[in-house]
Amino acid sequence: MSDGVKVTIDDREIEVAKGTGLVETAEAAGIEIPVFCYEPRLGPAVGACRMCLVEVEGLPKLQAGCTLTAQDGMVVRTAATSKRAAEGQHGTLEFILVNHPLDCPVCDKGGECPLQDLTFRYGPGSTRMTFAKLTFDKPIPVSPLIALDRERCILCYRCTRFSSDVAEDDQLIARNRGAYSEIATFGEDPYRAPFSGNVIELCPVGALTSTQYRFEARPWEIQDVPTVCGLCPAGCNIRATTREGAVKRVQSRNHPEIDGGWLCDKGRFTYPHLRAEDRVGEPLQRGPLGLEPVAWDAALDRAEELLRGARGTIVTALSGSETNEIAYGLGVLLRRGLGAHSAVLDESTSAALDAFRAPLSTIGDAELVVIVGDDDVVDRAPAVDLWLRKARRGGAEIVTVGARGSVPAPVGGAADALRELTDPAHDLGKRLRTSERAVLVWSGPGGGGGARLAEAAHELGFDGKPGCAAFHLPATPNPRGVSEAWAAAADGDESDPEPIGLLVVSGDEAAGSPDVRALAEQAEAVIAITMFHSLAVGWADLVLPATASLEREGTSMNLEGRLQRLRRTVISPVPDELAWLSKLAARFDAELSPHAAVVFEELSERIYGGLRLEQLGEHAALPARAAYVAPEPSRAPGAEAAQRAEGHFVGTLRLLRYTPLFSGHQVERVAELQFQRPEEEIALSSGDAGRRGISTGDVVTVRSNGTSVELRARVDRKLVEGVARVADEHAADLHAEVEVVKA
Amino acid sequence: MSSAPEVVFAGTDGGAITDLAAYEAVGGLTALRRAREMTPDQIVAELDASSLRGRGGAFFPTGRKWSFVPKPDQNPRPHYLVVNADESEPGTFKDREIMLRVPFRFLEGCLIAARGIESQHVFVYIRGEYEHEWEILVSALEQLREAKLLGGVTIVLHRGAGAYICGEETALLESLEGRRGQPRTKPPFPAIAGLYASPTAVNNVESITTVTPIIEMGGAEYAKLGVEDSTGTRVFSLSGNVVRPGNYELPHGYPLRDLIHEVGGGIADGRTLKAVIPGGSSTPILTASEAEKVTLDFDSLSKAGSAIGSAAVIVLDDRCCMVQLGVRVSQFYEHESCGKCTPCRVGTRWLTHILQKIESGRGTHADLDLLLDVGDRINGTCLCPLGDSDAIAVASYVAKFREEFLQHIEEASCPFHGASSLDGIVAPTDVHEAHVGPHEIHRPLEVVA
Repeated sequence: MSDGVKVTIDDREIEVAKGTGLVETAEAAGIEIPVFCYEPRLGPAVGACRMCLVEVEGLPKLQAGCTLTAQDGMVVRTAATSKRAAEGQHGTLEFILVNHPLDCPVCDKGGECPLQDLTFRYGPGSTRMTFAKLTFDKPIPVSPLIALDRERCILCYRCTRFSSDVAEDDQLIARNRGAYSEIATFGEDPYRAPFSGNVIELCPVGALTSTQYRFEARPWEIQDVPTVCGLCPAGCNIRATTREGAVKRVQSRNHPEIDGGWLCDKGRFTYPHLRAEDRVGEPLQRGPLGLEPVAWDAALDRAEELLRGARGTIVTALSGSETNEIAYGLGVLLRRGLGAHSAVLDESTSAALDAFRAPLSTIGDAELVVIVGDDDVVDRAPAVDLWLRKARRGGAEIVTVGARGSVPAPVGGAADALRELTDPAHDLGKRLRTSERAVLVWSGPGGGGGARLAEAAHELGFDGKPGCAAFHLPATPNPRGVSEAWAAAADGDESDPEPIGLLVVSGDEAAGSPDVRALAEQAEAVIAITMFHSLAVGWADLVLPATASLEREGTSMNLEGRLQRLRRTVISPVPDELAWLSKLAARFDAELSPHAAVVFEELSERIYGGLRLEQLGEHAALPARAAYVAPEPSRAPGAEAAQRAEGHFVGTLRLLRYTPLFSGHQVERVAELQFQRPEEEIALSSGDAGRRGISTGDVVTVRSNGTSVELRARVDRKLVEGVARVADEHAADLHAEVEVVKA
Repeated sequence: MSSAPEVVFAGTDGGAITDLAAYEAVGGLTALRRAREMTPDQIVAELDASSLRGRGGAFFPTGRKWSFVPKPDQNPRPHYLVVNADESEPGTFKDREIMLRVPFRFLEGCLIAARGIESQHVFVYIRGEYEHEWEILVSALEQLREAKLLGGVTIVLHRGAGAYICGEETALLESLEGRRGQPRTKPPFPAIAGLYASPTAVNNVESITTVTPIIEMGGAEYAKLGVEDSTGTRVFSLSGNVVRPGNYELPHGYPLRDLIHEVGGGIADGRTLKAVIPGGSSTPILTASEAEKVTLDFDSLSKAGSAIGSAAVIVLDDRCCMVQLGVRVSQFYEHESCGKCTPCRVGTRWLTHILQKIESGRGTHADLDLLLDVGDRINGTCLCPLGDSDAIAVASYVAKFREEFLQHIEEASCPFHGASSLDGIVAPTDVHEAHVGPHEIHRPLEVVA
């Protein structure tokens, strides 16, 4: 090691890179320096808990080991060989336990509690404290998701540091001082932020607990299953805690390149949708009284009948949330078995981006990030938001180009913005060209699935620079995997049948899509594969129950282009899609295994170079970059061009819909997440609001083509003029142009 | 009264100079003019020659502290001078008198010091309760600004919000940046990464005010005052059971006995001297006989097992119960502990509880051992000196007056039988008892929703 330093810990010499933390150095030597407050992901060590006291030769006082870095020639003694260090740690634990209630038998953390573990190893067996412990009201609802027990809190400040220094939401704070210091939110407001749940995992005691998991299980009766979150295209690595066949909680499984060990609240708290009341548990068939349960055999017969009857006029609406194996299975049945090659899929991703592939963590190390598009990154791929914050803390410049950007652009102007950046005379473009650590992000609809982004990255010379990358944030978790697997199933051209004989709707995102509903209007029959009853009522002729991502075995490809393995964390209440797809396929002489692992093998032979499942491992690696292949040019020139709003005076505004992070069929079904859902509001630029005499808080009527909704107005100073921004779920049937007047 | 030369309060004739013209009439601003003709290195060299050491309590050489601040070409970030005017150590009230009586000498020192470390930005973090002092400074600063004497330097007079911990330099910086006032780990030291992670010198009000006469008279001349290792004068805050409490500027090396008996007029009400806390509540106590022998300088007090600290001399007469004093002092540290590190947050409260138990006659011999042991576990394991201060002070009371602690235990009551008095020493015990704190649970646990 060229810039290595030699440190002696407990008489063991170890060489580490200069600047390595002492805790990590000791770990490398197989020696434990116990910690509570130390967590390098939260920023510099704070030295608050004093659990890590060690003796350092040449220094008179005991030192907080977590605040030290390895220096050449340093001689350190931990509790293992130093009586003073042992006494110091013993003392720290005695202090910590003075006010701790020691209610381990009724505490959720009991059995997986660092305080319990370290007390057992380093602490006193009894206390010398003879006065009353501090008591607090408890538990305090920090939010509907998180309960706070202030008596258990040891004030390590991990949670407040996460809030202020990682998620930067500044909502969780410490108030009062001394022994009466306590964790709180401002004015007792709920902790309402996209990443709040991470504080539960960070808490080294049972002070912050999940309201969903509280009293649900004990550590010795649970099983953790490693899988990947299927709710957005980031593909954060998670572990699902299960007990008696039910998911009880979801935690991070730290993939340092993807999520850095953080999870958004959607990924963490949405699992109760698996047990939603309106979950479809058996096949349903349209009868005289609406949808009626039907036996599986009859359902498959009916499906076969519908498929045969519509042969040649079948269209498949894919969700982009299927596993690669389900998408391939659908392809085998519909394309290979029936020659039905027509499919629709919202927002796929371009393979041309493989030339600029890099781990998401590359963003955290960037010096310049340009984000184009009208959507907030956190709404599309929350993990990316945390990497952006990390980059900015590290001094990076973050430029956003969009309807709410630091560089304002008209709605849908992302492709134009990229074209401008590639102009050799463009200032920001020049800096992107010369930087070795620049990242482009597309955060919005359109753009040919990242094709325009790939073209721009190529133009800007990102090809040979490992620190430069381009990321397209699609709206669904696995659009690329799905489209490639669908494509791999068979060859054949799309026919765009008219009229549509049968529309096969795969998954909830497709079932909930207004575009797919519009297609259904033209279809003679509809088969819907969906998890929730309400998504199928009124339009499906046959409903086949879907499984959730947490119940699926298979693979998925995240927005980086990383193939990851999903595990079945619990047995689904309904059969696996592949089970009945294989049976149906057999009726059309197409061979499909009911086992995801076998399907993957076949798929892998075709498109993943024969990669085996076990090669993916639990922390999948990102393949090397591919050579740049120019994507197909934009099919309809001008289709993606910005639609500039005309007439900035009182008149119509262009409706900018967005899908907030806390929305969607799963979130809607989780009681604890309701407070996180978007306000019923419409955002207007200050100019547009001013001209209409509208201020924040006013109730306004939003009209278009005969429909109207009432929403609360919010003046958004970042928003460009001529635009009204409304969350999808509150935009209802509004058309692209809306009138906004004070109600 | 002493006839020693006044340096900090020179020209005030016992009063205050709050008018710029009056200040110039007694020679004010000559140092600033001289400093502006000197290079920063020359200013630091004068400070080195003066052997001025920090008046806040740590007694660190001021010139050396400044020399740790990198040159602008070594670190291009802005450089800051931060003046610690958060004077809160029990018994210490010198900085307020300096700000009240010689605000211009203080601000002149700020401008000279800023030049010494090549800074354009000065922040004065002034104790929240010092409202009048703040107003005086605001007025003086306004006069300097109108007279166009600031030379491009901005001086911000920032009021604290009432926390002793913010007198600890890194907690002060946190608070100044708008965060919770809690100490940072060191390194990095403020000279390297202080305010807004930029090079910062943090100095006490009296140190900065003394910079002015040092430049005026020259460092070597200043060093002739006082004694070796403790040069110059010091503003001693004399309080407690003396006839004439107050601030007295005296040269270092002045006999403590003379400060009490001559300058201070002796013990009040014909009582006898029992003990002296020589440098603020955090310094170890001296018995009457020890106090007779020491002089007020770093060496003499260190040899006697105490410290000069903030030069706050607290005189205790024979009515004072040492256990009660311990309770009161420990309560102060408990109340002011910021809550960041475990030993201080929990330990100071524990010390108070044990002391209260002994004071009320419920203590045992084991409690006395526990008191010292808990103190030992606090001392040296904390993030900053606050917790140590409590442990050290209390340990010194036990060491010097063990008999009195044993009497409480063996007689199961306070030997002073209510005749004990902390009058004039520290605020009454009950002042801080009504702290805002948690209360007992009166309702059953609820599962949140």
